[in-house]
Amino acid sequence: MKAYSFIKPKKKPIFKEDTKLWLIFITFSLILYIFFALFLALKAYFFKQDSQKLLKEIEKLKKQTTELTLQKEFIYTQKAIYEDIMIKNALVKQQIKNLLDLIPDPITLEKFYIDNDKLIIYGITPTKDIYNLLMLPPLESIFEKTTTYFYKLPNGWYKFKSENYIKSEDENQTK
Amino acid sequence: MKIKLSKPNLKIPKIYIYGIDVIKNLGFFTLYIIITLLSIAFIIAPAIKHFKKNQKQYYNIKTQYLNVKNNYENVLESLNKLKKENAKIIAAFRRDFDVKNFKMFASKFMEIKEIKKDKTKPFKKDFIKTVYFIKATINSPKDFYDFIDAIKKYKNIIRVYFPIDFTKKDKKINLTLKIEHYRLKDKKALKAEEKAH
Repeated sequence: MKAYSFIKPKKKPIFKEDTKLWLIFITFSLILYIFFALFLALKAYFFKQDSQKLLKEIEKLKKQTTELTLQKEFIYTQKAIYEDIMIKNALVKQQIKNLLDLIPDPITLEKFYIDNDKLIIYGITPTKDIYNLLMLPPLESIFEKTTTYFYKLPNGWYKFKSENYIKSEDENQTK
Repeated sequence: MKIKLSKPNLKIPKIYIYGIDVIKNLGFFTLYIIITLLSIAFIIAPAIKHFKKNQKQYYNIKTQYLNVKNNYENVLESLNKLKKENAKIIAAFRRDFDVKNFKMFASKFMEIKEIKKDKTKPFKKDFIKTVYFIKATINSPKDFYDFIDAIKKYKNIIRVYFPIDFTKKDKKINLTLKIEHYRLKDKKALKAEEKAH
């Protein structure tokens, strides 16, 4: 037997209103959690990317710093060489000056040849004694070996050649 | 004889307060709490841990980078200062020897008769030195001293070296000396120098 009703049947929803609300709320929360996690993961990824960029930059800067340090050292080397050369020039000047100061008044200097380890002097002296008394002692105190040759001139004076040798400390120092 | 067992009543009782199903809502709330806790434990916490690790690493690297950058800038600044202070020396080591110019420079102190180029040798690791022999005439030894003093200000790096020969001739002095010109080793220049000899 069939039952009949006077009212229209209402569609029965699968979920009730409050159930729907809960489901939406829970799903929304879950999506929010996932988005938050994704956001953090993305931030972490960017941090990692930036870190890698910085690491590359650090390597580059370190390499450049090393190059700059080398450049600095090279400038110091150039400066040291320059100063060394200038000091040696001043020494040459002083050596020549000292040599000329060494010549006493009665003796006339005609020529001198100075090298690293030797000095050859040509000159004229009124007497052998003046030479031996005034010029020979300082030469002997400076040089290890001193040899003098005298040639008598027609006027009675002497032409001399003095050969002086030393073991040079300065010899080719800049080689 | 059949014993009839009554079925146990497993149905959750329904309690309504103002038309709200309390038990069902409590169930959903519990479910929500469980999902939240699980999400924190398995999604958010690992993400925060990973983020914190990368963030810490980034700041460490950034501090390191700033230190390195600071050091680089300091070295660069000191290099520029050093270059500025020694600009004359640096430029002098890069210049070739110009005989004409040298003659002009030396003419204030001596009359150069001859400049003869000798050999070019490597000097230390990065330099070369070229030897020149000079024959000149000076009026007095003072000219020679002044020449040596003036060399400091010359545009090339010149060393006056032995052998030096002074020969008196009339009122003048004939001077023979050796000079060495120092410059930076330039492979091309060195090859050209070698070919010239």
